[in-house]
Amino acid sequence: MFKTLAGRALVPVGIAVTGFVIVCFLLLYSVIKNVVNRDTVGYATNLADTILKSTRYAMLKSDREMLATMIQNIGQQKGVEHIRVFNKKGIVHLSTRPEELNRQVDKKAEGCIGCHAGAIPSASLGRMEQARIFTNGEGREVLAVMAPIYNEPECFNAPCHIHPPAQKVLGTLDIGLSREMLLNSLASIRNQMIVFTVMILVLTVGGVTALLRRSVFLPLQKLRRLAEQVEAGEHPEAHPSHFPRELDRIAQSLYNLSQKDYSAAGDPAAIDKGTVPKDS
Amino acid sequence: MTQTIDNQPATGLAPQQSQAELLERQLRAEVKHLHHFSNRGLWAFSLYIVVCLMAWRGFPMLPLPDRVVAALGPPPPAHVISIVLLFYTFSAIILSLSRMTAGIEHKSSFCHVGYLTGFFLFYHFAKALDDNFWAVFGAGVTILAVESYRIWSFCRDALSRKTEQLEFIQRTGRVPPEDE
Repeated sequence: MFKTLAGRALVPVGIAVTGFVIVCFLLLYSVIKNVVNRDTVGYATNLADTILKSTRYAMLKSDREMLATMIQNIGQQKGVEHIRVFNKKGIVHLSTRPEELNRQVDKKAEGCIGCHAGAIPSASLGRMEQARIFTNGEGREVLAVMAPIYNEPECFNAPCHIHPPAQKVLGTLDIGLSREMLLNSLASIRNQMIVFTVMILVLTVGGVTALLRRSVFLPLQKLRRLAEQVEAGEHPEAHPSHFPRELDRIAQSLYNLSQKDYSAAGDPAAIDKGTVPKDS
Repeated sequence: MTQTIDNQPATGLAPQQSQAELLERQLRAEVKHLHHFSNRGLWAFSLYIVVCLMAWRGFPMLPLPDRVVAALGPPPPAHVISIVLLFYTFSAIILSLSRMTAGIEHKSSFCHVGYLTGFFLFYHFAKALDDNFWAVFGAGVTILAVESYRIWSFCRDALSRKTEQLEFIQRTGRVPPEDE
Protein backbone atom coordinates (compact mmCIF):
# COMPACT_ATOMS: atom_id res chain seq x y z
CA MET A 1 0.00 0.00 0.00
CA PHE A 2 2.79 2.44 0.94
CA LYS A 3 4.87 1.47 -2.10
CA THR A 4 2.43 2.99 -4.57
CA LEU A 5 2.21 6.68 -5.26
CA ALA A 6 -1.51 6.62 -4.43
CA GLY A 7 -0.83 5.14 -0.99
CA ARG A 8 1.93 7.62 -0.23
CA ALA A 9 -0.15 10.59 -1.32
CA LEU A 10 -3.51 9.63 0.15
CA VAL A 11 -2.67 8.02 3.51
CA PRO A 12 -1.32 11.16 5.27
CA VAL A 13 -4.05 13.36 3.78
CA GLY A 14 -6.71 10.85 4.81
CA ILE A 15 -5.40 10.58 8.38
CA ALA A 16 -5.00 14.35 8.77
CA VAL A 17 -8.42 15.30 7.37
CA THR A 18 -10.29 12.49 9.15
CA GLY A 19 -8.62 13.18 12.50
CA PHE A 20 -9.09 16.94 12.31
CA VAL A 21 -12.78 16.69 11.36
CA ILE A 22 -13.41 14.23 14.22
CA VAL A 23 -11.63 16.51 16.72
CA CYS A 24 -13.71 19.48 15.48
CA PHE A 25 -16.89 17.39 15.84
CA LEU A 26 -16.01 16.34 19.41
CA LEU A 27 -15.13 19.89 20.49
CA LEU A 28 -18.23 21.34 18.87
CA TYR A 29 -20.45 18.73 20.50
CA SER A 30 -18.84 19.44 23.89
CA VAL A 31 -19.48 23.19 23.47
CA ILE A 32 -23.12 22.60 22.40
CA LYS A 33 -23.64 20.26 25.37
CA ASN A 34 -22.29 22.88 27.79
CA VAL A 35 -24.47 25.61 26.29
CA VAL A 36 -27.60 23.44 26.47
CA ASN A 37 -26.77 22.42 30.07
CA ARG A 38 -26.21 26.05 31.08
CA ASP A 39 -29.49 27.12 29.48
CA THR A 40 -31.32 24.29 31.25
CA VAL A 41 -29.85 25.33 34.60
CA GLY A 42 -30.95 28.91 33.86
CA TYR A 43 -34.45 27.68 33.04
CA ALA A 44 -34.60 25.60 36.25
CA THR A 45 -33.36 28.54 38.34
CA ASN A 46 -36.00 30.81 36.81
CA LEU A 47 -38.66 28.21 37.51
CA ALA A 48 -37.50 27.99 41.15
CA ASP A 49 -37.66 31.80 41.44
CA THR A 50 -41.15 31.76 39.92
CA ILE A 51 -42.30 29.17 42.46
CA LEU A 52 -40.80 31.20 45.32
CA LYS A 53 -42.50 34.38 44.13
CA SER A 54 -45.82 32.55 43.64
CA THR A 55 -45.73 31.00 47.08
CA ARG A 56 -44.40 34.08 48.86
CA TYR A 57 -47.80 35.33 50.03
CA ALA A 58 -48.85 31.88 51.26
CA MET A 59 -45.55 31.59 53.17
CA LEU A 60 -46.01 35.04 54.65
CA LYS A 61 -49.48 34.08 55.81
CA SER A 62 -48.13 30.67 56.92
CA ASP A 63 -50.95 29.05 54.91
CA ARG A 64 -49.58 25.55 54.84
CA GLU A 65 -52.55 24.05 53.03
CA MET A 66 -52.34 26.51 50.15
CA LEU A 67 -48.57 26.04 49.97
CA ALA A 68 -48.89 22.26 49.80
CA THR A 69 -51.56 22.51 47.08
CA MET A 70 -49.45 24.87 44.99
CA ILE A 71 -46.37 22.67 45.34
CA GLN A 72 -48.40 19.56 44.43
CA ASN A 73 -49.91 21.26 41.37
CA ILE A 74 -46.55 22.47 40.08
CA GLY A 75 -45.06 19.05 40.79
CA GLN A 76 -47.61 17.42 38.49
CA GLN A 77 -46.29 19.42 35.54
CA LYS A 78 -44.56 17.29 32.89
CA GLY A 79 -40.82 17.09 33.40
CA VAL A 80 -40.88 18.11 37.08
CA GLU A 81 -39.47 15.22 39.13
CA HIS A 82 -39.71 16.72 42.61
CA ILE A 83 -40.18 19.93 44.56
CA ARG A 84 -39.11 20.18 48.20
CA VAL A 85 -39.03 23.04 50.67
CA PHE A 86 -36.49 22.67 53.47
CA ASN A 87 -36.47 24.70 56.64
CA LYS A 88 -33.34 26.15 58.20
CA LYS A 89 -32.48 22.84 59.95
CA GLY A 90 -32.63 20.87 56.70
CA ILE A 91 -35.95 19.17 57.49
CA VAL A 92 -38.30 18.65 54.55
CA HIS A 93 -41.19 20.99 55.26
CA LEU A 94 -43.12 20.51 52.02
CA SER A 95 -42.67 18.01 49.21
CA THR A 96 -44.42 16.58 46.19
CA ARG A 97 -43.60 13.16 47.71
CA PRO A 98 -45.43 12.68 51.00
CA GLU A 99 -42.98 10.02 52.24
CA GLU A 100 -40.20 12.63 52.37
CA LEU A 101 -42.03 14.98 54.77
CA ASN A 102 -40.31 15.75 58.10
CA ARG A 103 -37.13 13.94 57.09
CA GLN A 104 -33.77 15.58 57.58
CA VAL A 105 -31.17 15.67 54.84
CA ASP A 106 -27.44 15.30 55.33
CA LYS A 107 -25.76 18.68 54.95
CA LYS A 108 -22.75 16.96 53.43
CA ALA A 109 -24.89 15.51 50.63
CA GLU A 110 -24.45 16.77 47.08
CA GLY A 111 -26.56 19.86 46.61
CA CYS A 112 -26.10 20.93 50.26
CA ILE A 113 -22.31 20.88 50.50
CA GLY A 114 -22.07 23.87 48.12
CA CYS A 115 -23.31 26.19 50.90
CA HIS A 116 -22.49 24.05 53.95
CA ALA A 117 -18.83 23.33 53.14
CA GLY A 118 -17.50 25.74 55.79
CA ALA A 119 -18.39 26.37 59.43
CA ILE A 120 -20.62 29.29 58.41
CA PRO A 121 -22.93 28.38 55.52
CA SER A 122 -22.75 30.55 52.43
CA ALA A 123 -25.85 32.68 51.83
CA SER A 124 -25.46 32.93 48.06
CA LEU A 125 -24.14 30.76 45.22
CA GLY A 126 -23.64 31.18 41.48
CA ARG A 127 -26.22 29.69 39.13
CA MET A 128 -24.11 26.70 38.07
CA GLU A 129 -23.10 25.96 41.69
CA GLN A 130 -26.78 25.73 42.67
CA ALA A 131 -27.32 22.90 40.19
CA ARG A 132 -26.54 19.20 40.50
CA ILE A 133 -27.17 16.18 38.29
CA PHE A 134 -27.99 12.74 39.65
CA THR A 135 -29.96 9.59 38.87
CA ASN A 136 -33.05 9.25 41.05
CA GLY A 137 -34.54 6.08 42.53
CA GLU A 138 -36.60 5.49 39.39
CA GLY A 139 -33.44 5.44 37.27
CA ARG A 140 -34.08 8.81 35.61
CA GLU A 141 -31.41 11.49 35.26
CA VAL A 142 -32.45 14.60 37.14
CA LEU A 143 -31.15 18.17 37.11
CA ALA A 144 -31.89 19.72 40.50
CA VAL A 145 -31.54 23.33 41.56
CA MET A 146 -31.45 24.71 45.10
CA ALA A 147 -32.86 28.21 45.57
CA PRO A 148 -32.51 29.88 49.00
CA ILE A 149 -35.57 31.46 50.64
CA TYR A 150 -34.22 34.71 52.04
CA ASN A 151 -35.46 36.49 55.14
CA GLU A 152 -37.21 39.78 54.31
CA PRO A 153 -38.60 42.61 56.47
CA GLU A 154 -42.13 41.32 55.86
CA CYS A 155 -41.06 37.96 57.31
CA PHE A 156 -39.41 39.04 60.55
CA ASN A 157 -41.90 41.90 61.14
CA ALA A 158 -44.96 39.71 60.71
CA PRO A 159 -46.76 39.11 64.04
CA CYS A 160 -47.15 35.40 63.46
CA HIS A 161 -43.48 34.73 62.68
CA ILE A 162 -40.52 34.13 64.91
CA HIS A 163 -37.59 34.58 62.49
CA PRO A 164 -34.96 36.89 63.95
CA PRO A 165 -33.84 39.72 61.62
CA ALA A 166 -30.23 38.44 61.71
CA GLN A 167 -31.22 35.15 60.08
CA LYS A 168 -30.42 35.57 56.40
CA VAL A 169 -31.80 32.32 54.96
CA LEU A 170 -35.09 30.83 56.15
CA GLY A 171 -34.91 27.66 54.11
CA THR A 172 -34.39 26.38 50.60
CA LEU A 173 -36.49 25.28 47.68
CA ASP A 174 -35.21 22.24 45.81
CA ILE A 175 -36.64 21.57 42.37
CA GLY A 176 -35.68 18.59 40.22
CA LEU A 177 -36.34 18.49 36.48
CA SER A 178 -36.10 15.42 34.29
CA ARG A 179 -33.19 15.48 31.84
CA GLU A 180 -34.92 13.05 29.50
CA MET A 181 -35.92 15.68 26.93
CA LEU A 182 -32.52 17.34 27.15
CA LEU A 183 -30.72 14.03 26.60
CA ASN A 184 -32.99 13.22 23.67
CA SER A 185 -32.24 16.60 22.09
CA LEU A 186 -28.50 16.10 22.63
CA ALA A 187 -28.68 12.61 21.10
CA SER A 188 -30.52 14.04 18.09
CA ILE A 189 -27.89 16.80 17.67
CA ARG A 190 -25.11 14.20 18.04
CA ASN A 191 -26.60 11.91 15.40
CA GLN A 192 -27.07 14.78 12.97
CA MET A 193 -23.49 15.90 13.55
CA ILE A 194 -22.18 12.36 12.99
CA VAL A 195 -24.02 12.16 9.65
CA PHE A 196 -22.75 15.62 8.73
CA THR A 197 -19.16 14.68 9.69
CA VAL A 198 -19.27 11.43 7.71
CA MET A 199 -20.57 13.35 4.67
CA ILE A 200 -17.76 15.92 4.96
CA LEU A 201 -15.19 13.13 5.28
CA VAL A 202 -16.51 11.21 2.30
CA LEU A 203 -16.65 14.38 0.19
CA THR A 204 -13.17 15.55 1.18
CA VAL A 205 -11.27 12.27 1.06
CA GLY A 206 -13.30 11.02 -1.92
CA GLY A 207 -12.84 14.32 -3.78
CA VAL A 208 -9.09 14.39 -3.21
CA THR A 209 -8.82 10.72 -4.24
CA ALA A 210 -10.89 11.24 -7.39
CA LEU A 211 -8.96 14.36 -8.46
CA LEU A 212 -5.58 12.74 -7.81
CA ARG A 213 -6.61 9.64 -9.72
CA ARG A 214 -7.90 11.65 -12.67
CA SER A 215 -5.03 14.14 -12.83
CA VAL A 216 -2.01 12.16 -11.64
CA PHE A 217 -2.39 8.42 -11.26
CA LEU A 218 -4.12 7.61 -14.57
CA PRO A 219 -1.65 9.67 -16.68
CA LEU A 220 1.20 8.02 -14.75
CA GLN A 221 -0.22 4.58 -15.54
CA LYS A 222 -0.41 5.55 -19.24
CA LEU A 223 3.15 6.79 -19.10
CA ARG A 224 4.28 3.56 -17.47
CA ARG A 225 2.57 1.51 -20.20
CA LEU A 226 4.30 3.68 -22.83
CA ALA A 227 7.68 3.18 -21.15
CA GLU A 228 7.12 -0.57 -20.99
CA GLN A 229 6.24 -0.63 -24.71
CA VAL A 230 9.39 1.30 -25.57
CA GLU A 231 11.49 -0.92 -23.35
CA ALA A 232 10.07 -4.02 -25.01
CA GLY A 233 10.88 -2.58 -28.45
CA GLU A 234 7.24 -2.26 -29.46
CA HIS A 235 6.05 0.58 -31.62
CA PRO A 236 3.36 2.68 -29.90
CA GLU A 237 0.20 2.62 -31.94
CA ALA A 238 -0.65 6.29 -31.59
CA HIS A 239 0.82 9.56 -30.43
CA PRO A 240 0.59 9.82 -26.66
CA SER A 241 -1.92 12.53 -25.87
CA HIS A 242 -4.00 14.00 -23.02
CA PHE A 243 -1.06 14.15 -20.63
CA PRO A 244 -0.66 16.98 -18.13
CA ARG A 245 2.03 19.47 -19.16
CA GLU A 246 4.58 18.09 -16.67
CA LEU A 247 4.29 14.55 -18.06
CA ASP A 248 3.82 15.53 -21.71
CA ARG A 249 7.54 16.16 -22.24
CA ILE A 250 8.44 12.71 -20.89
CA ALA A 251 5.79 11.09 -23.09
CA GLN A 252 7.16 12.93 -26.16
CA SER A 253 10.70 11.82 -25.37
CA LEU A 254 9.63 8.20 -24.96
CA TYR A 255 7.65 8.30 -28.21
CA ASN A 256 10.54 9.87 -30.15
CA LEU A 257 12.90 7.28 -28.66
CA SER A 258 10.64 4.47 -29.85
CA GLN A 259 10.54 6.06 -33.34
CA LYS A 260 14.36 6.15 -33.46
CA ASP A 261 14.57 2.53 -32.35
CA TYR A 262 12.09 1.55 -35.03
CA SER A 263 14.03 3.51 -37.63
CA ALA A 264 17.28 1.81 -36.61
CA ALA A 265 15.54 -1.54 -36.90
CA GLY A 266 14.95 -0.80 -40.64
CA ASP A 267 11.30 0.07 -40.98
CA PRO A 268 11.44 3.61 -42.41
CA ALA A 269 7.83 3.50 -43.52
CA ALA A 270 6.72 3.51 -39.94
CA ILE A 271 8.77 6.56 -39.04
CA ASP A 272 6.81 9.61 -38.21
CA LYS A 273 9.21 12.51 -38.61
CA GLY A 274 7.15 15.00 -36.68
CA THR A 275 7.00 15.29 -32.94
CA VAL A 276 4.01 14.45 -30.85
CA PRO A 277 1.39 17.18 -31.00
CA LYS A 278 1.13 18.99 -27.70
CA ASP A 279 -2.04 19.06 -25.75
CA SER A 280 -3.51 22.49 -25.49
CA MET B 1 38.05 15.51 -7.56
CA THR B 2 38.64 15.38 -3.81
CA GLN B 3 36.09 13.29 -1.90
CA THR B 4 34.76 14.75 1.32
CA ILE B 5 33.11 12.96 4.24
CA ASP B 6 31.19 14.89 6.89
CA ASN B 7 32.51 18.15 5.40
CA GLN B 8 36.07 17.15 6.28
CA PRO B 9 38.57 17.50 3.44
CA ALA B 10 40.00 14.14 2.52
CA THR B 11 43.70 13.74 2.42
CA GLY B 12 44.55 13.76 -1.23
CA LEU B 13 46.96 10.92 -0.57
CA ALA B 14 44.37 8.47 0.84
CA PRO B 15 43.63 5.72 -1.61
CA GLN B 16 40.14 5.25 -3.08
CA GLN B 17 39.85 1.91 -1.29
CA SER B 18 40.22 3.36 2.23
CA GLN B 19 37.76 6.15 1.42
CA ALA B 20 35.23 3.56 0.34
CA GLU B 21 35.76 1.58 3.54
CA LEU B 22 35.35 4.73 5.61
CA LEU B 23 32.15 5.60 3.75
CA GLU B 24 30.87 2.06 4.15
CA ARG B 25 31.36 2.22 7.93
CA GLN B 26 29.64 5.59 8.00
CA LEU B 27 26.75 4.29 5.90
CA ARG B 28 26.32 1.27 8.16
CA ALA B 29 26.15 3.58 11.20
CA GLU B 30 23.59 5.77 9.42
CA VAL B 31 21.48 2.74 8.50
CA LYS B 32 21.52 1.63 12.12
CA HIS B 33 20.54 5.13 13.25
CA LEU B 34 17.71 5.28 10.69
CA HIS B 35 16.35 1.88 11.80
CA HIS B 36 16.38 3.16 15.37
CA PHE B 37 14.87 6.53 14.41
CA SER B 38 12.03 5.01 12.36
CA ASN B 39 10.52 3.58 15.58
CA ARG B 40 10.46 6.97 17.27
CA GLY B 41 6.84 7.63 16.29
CA LEU B 42 5.73 4.32 17.79
CA TRP B 43 7.53 5.01 21.06
CA ALA B 44 5.88 8.42 21.26
CA PHE B 45 2.53 6.80 20.51
CA SER B 46 3.04 4.26 23.31
CA LEU B 47 3.93 6.99 25.79
CA TYR B 48 0.83 8.91 24.71
CA ILE B 49 -1.40 5.88 25.34
CA VAL B 50 0.03 5.66 28.89
CA VAL B 51 -0.76 9.37 29.42
CA CYS B 52 -4.30 8.78 28.06
CA LEU B 53 -4.85 5.91 30.48
CA MET B 54 -3.81 8.13 33.39
CA ALA B 55 -6.09 10.91 32.13
CA TRP B 56 -8.96 8.42 31.74
CA ARG B 57 -8.54 7.50 35.41
CA GLY B 58 -8.48 11.20 36.39
CA PHE B 59 -4.74 11.47 37.13
CA PRO B 60 -4.88 9.59 40.47
CA MET B 61 -1.26 10.47 41.29
CA LEU B 62 -1.93 14.23 41.16
CA PRO B 63 -3.46 16.35 43.93
CA LEU B 64 -7.17 17.16 43.62
CA PRO B 65 -8.05 19.99 41.20
CA ASP B 66 -9.43 22.16 44.04
CA ARG B 67 -6.10 22.08 45.88
CA VAL B 68 -4.15 22.94 42.72
CA VAL B 69 -6.58 25.75 41.90
CA ALA B 70 -6.24 27.09 45.45
CA ALA B 71 -2.45 27.09 45.08
CA LEU B 72 -2.05 28.27 41.49
CA GLY B 73 -5.26 30.16 40.78
CA PRO B 74 -8.13 29.25 38.44
CA PRO B 75 -7.34 27.57 35.10
CA PRO B 76 -8.60 29.06 31.82
CA PRO B 77 -12.25 28.26 31.02
CA ALA B 78 -12.87 25.01 29.14
CA HIS B 79 -14.02 26.75 25.96
CA VAL B 80 -10.75 28.73 25.78
CA ILE B 81 -8.74 25.49 26.20
CA SER B 82 -10.86 23.95 23.40
CA ILE B 83 -10.11 26.85 21.03
CA VAL B 84 -6.37 26.56 21.77
CA LEU B 85 -6.58 22.76 21.23
CA LEU B 86 -8.24 23.30 17.86
CA PHE B 87 -5.56 25.76 16.69
CA TYR B 88 -2.80 23.53 18.04
CA THR B 89 -4.16 20.48 16.17
CA PHE B 90 -4.47 22.45 12.95
CA SER B 91 -0.95 23.93 13.25
CA ALA B 92 0.65 20.61 14.20
CA ILE B 93 -0.90 18.80 11.21
CA ILE B 94 0.07 21.59 8.78
CA LEU B 95 3.63 21.65 10.21
CA SER B 96 3.95 17.89 9.94
CA LEU B 97 2.65 17.81 6.35
CA SER B 98 5.01 20.66 5.43
CA ARG B 99 7.98 18.77 6.89
CA MET B 100 6.84 15.67 5.00
CA THR B 101 6.73 17.67 1.76
CA ALA B 102 10.14 19.22 2.35
CA GLY B 103 11.68 15.91 3.50
CA ILE B 104 13.06 17.42 6.70
CA GLU B 105 14.34 15.15 9.46
CA HIS B 106 12.74 16.56 12.61
CA LYS B 107 12.49 14.72 15.92
CA SER B 108 9.26 16.25 17.20
CA SER B 109 7.03 13.36 18.28
CA PHE B 110 7.80 13.43 22.00
CA CYS B 111 7.22 17.15 22.36
CA HIS B 112 3.68 16.62 21.01
CA VAL B 113 3.10 14.10 23.81
CA GLY B 114 4.14 16.86 26.22
CA TYR B 115 1.75 19.42 24.68
CA LEU B 116 -1.14 16.93 24.71
CA THR B 117 -0.43 16.06 28.36
CA GLY B 118 -0.66 19.80 29.05
CA PHE B 119 -4.13 19.90 27.48
CA PHE B 120 -5.24 16.91 29.56
CA LEU B 121 -3.97 18.63 32.72
CA PHE B 122 -5.64 21.96 31.91
CA TYR B 123 -8.98 20.23 31.28
CA HIS B 124 -8.50 18.18 34.46
CA PHE B 125 -7.92 21.26 36.61
CA ALA B 126 -10.81 23.07 34.87
CA LYS B 127 -12.98 20.02 35.78
CA ALA B 128 -13.89 19.58 32.12
CA LEU B 129 -11.88 16.46 31.30
CA ASP B 130 -14.94 14.18 31.18
CA ASP B 131 -16.48 16.25 28.39
CA ASN B 132 -13.28 16.77 26.42
CA PHE B 133 -11.24 13.60 26.90
CA TRP B 134 -12.12 12.15 23.49
CA ALA B 135 -11.35 15.43 21.73
CA VAL B 136 -7.80 15.49 23.15
CA PHE B 137 -7.43 11.76 22.50
CA GLY B 138 -8.52 12.21 18.86
CA ALA B 139 -6.23 15.20 18.40
CA GLY B 140 -3.29 13.23 19.81
CA VAL B 141 -3.95 10.15 17.71
CA THR B 142 -4.21 12.28 14.55
CA ILE B 143 -1.08 14.34 15.19
CA LEU B 144 1.03 11.38 16.29
CA ALA B 145 -0.20 9.22 13.40
CA VAL B 146 0.77 11.88 10.85
CA GLU B 147 4.10 12.43 12.64
CA SER B 148 4.81 8.69 12.82
CA TYR B 149 4.04 8.33 9.12
CA ARG B 150 6.30 11.32 8.32
CA ILE B 151 9.22 9.89 10.31
CA TRP B 152 8.68 6.38 8.98
CA SER B 153 8.47 7.48 5.32
CA PHE B 154 11.52 9.74 5.76
CA CYS B 155 13.50 6.85 7.22
CA ARG B 156 12.30 4.43 4.55
CA ASP B 157 13.43 6.75 1.73
CA ALA B 158 16.76 7.46 3.42
CA LEU B 159 17.30 3.75 4.13
CA SER B 160 16.64 2.86 0.53
CA ARG B 161 19.24 5.42 -0.63
CA LYS B 162 21.82 4.29 1.91
CA THR B 163 21.27 0.62 1.07
CA GLU B 164 21.78 1.35 -2.62
CA GLN B 165 25.02 3.20 -1.82
CA LEU B 166 26.20 0.31 0.38
CA GLU B 167 25.48 -2.20 -2.37
CA PHE B 168 27.38 -0.02 -4.85
CA ILE B 169 30.43 0.07 -2.57
CA GLN B 170 30.29 -3.69 -1.97
CA ARG B 171 29.89 -4.38 -5.69
CA THR B 172 32.50 -2.00 -7.08
CA GLY B 173 34.74 -1.14 -4.12
CA ARG B 174 34.45 2.52 -5.15
CA VAL B 175 32.73 5.55 -3.61
CA PRO B 176 29.25 5.91 -5.15
CA PRO B 177 28.55 8.99 -7.27
CA GLU B 178 26.87 11.86 -5.47
CA ASP B 179 23.10 12.27 -5.92
CA GLU B 180 21.87 15.52 -7.36
